[in-house]
Amino acid sequence: MGFGDLRSAAGLRVLNDFLADKSYIEGYVPSQADIAVFEAIAAPPPADLFHALRWYNHIKSYEKQKASLPGVKKALGKYGPADVEDTTGAATDSKDDDDIDLFGSDDEEESEEAKKLREERLAQYESKKSKKPAVVAKSSILLDVKPWDDETDMAKLEECVRSIQADGLVWGSSKLVPVGYGIKKLQIQCVVEDDKVGTDMLEERITAFEDYVQSMDVAAFNKI
Amino acid sequence: GAAELELLERLLGLPGGNKYGVQGQRKVPVLQTNNGPGLTGLMTIAAHLVRQAKKDQLLGNTAEEKAVVQQWLEYRVTRVNGGSSKEDARIILKDLNTHLEDKVYLAGNIFTLADILMYYGLHHIMVDLTVQEKEKYLNVSRWFNHIQHYPGVRQHLSNVVFIKNRLYTNAH
Repeated sequence: MGFGDLRSAAGLRVLNDFLADKSYIEGYVPSQADIAVFEAIAAPPPADLFHALRWYNHIKSYEKQKASLPGVKKALGKYGPADVEDTTGAATDSKDDDDIDLFGSDDEEESEEAKKLREERLAQYESKKSKKPAVVAKSSILLDVKPWDDETDMAKLEECVRSIQADGLVWGSSKLVPVGYGIKKLQIQCVVEDDKVGTDMLEERITAFEDYVQSMDVAAFNKI
Repeated sequence: GAAELELLERLLGLPGGNKYGVQGQRKVPVLQTNNGPGLTGLMTIAAHLVRQAKKDQLLGNTAEEKAVVQQWLEYRVTRVNGGSSKEDARIILKDLNTHLEDKVYLAGNIFTLADILMYYGLHHIMVDLTVQEKEKYLNVSRWFNHIQHYPGVRQHLSNVVFIKNRLYTNAH
């Protein structure tokens, strides 16, 4: 993964292609992933890389909120297209943030502990560059599963949903939430490994239980 | 029309219970009020609901944003309706694709009523697009995929699938 060297034209082109059909680096909301990549770019992308430029201008508009965006900043090599060779080296770690910190303010919110942890993780990543990374990206997803009507057997519906097994998918707690007219929707938590399980796959498999499930929605999506 | 307004009500978190009717051949939605002839027109009723829900930011914050939101609401009402021909659809998609080249949302950086109503209005067109067409109108696909994942928007409408790896090489 990774975009290659984001300070080179080639790296920016990889970023541009990656963003052609996405609004954000990860998921459907702005997150620390976007901030991490944004801070690695020296200047606004050129006009001919218009997807990257669109994304750049959009993330820039979140300048004031960047500390409160969800997620945890990871090394650049963790983002981007899966088939690009990771060439990020020591140069892209926190030491360079001072030089190219476009927002101009210091990370006051980042505590000593968090900083140490991040540097520790970066050092760990660098030493294990050629091996599989120790930190696995996970997300906690809250799903709303809606039945056809108030006569649908919700216990059976829940059983069907929980019967979906996949590597990197762990089901959590659930509850029934009334939505009106006697109908209840199933709200169920799950934890997924981002590389292995996506909401599209979950949706396909859940809505496959056509007899019980009318539709599925992602009620909340949080990076862990 | 009226079904869309009900979806909007739920998205806005309004308690519901509003009564809708339709008027005329073009089935213009009408919101029945307690006194008087009722509020007419998709755009008008939608904006009214947004204000009722106290979510005015969905109409835009700056004067420019408000104007752009109005532009797309007008576009939605005049150009996008259930009876669009394939040729009309092609023009709409082309317009949108150009507009969305440098924007994440229709009004730029904020999610507004324009995105909501254009999403509902375009759903039936997007559902029928081929993989090749979805890649041709890449910016529309990106925007549509984003909006349909926005909490509360899609509700019971079907999820339009956009595949992750592009099959057709792009010119740029």
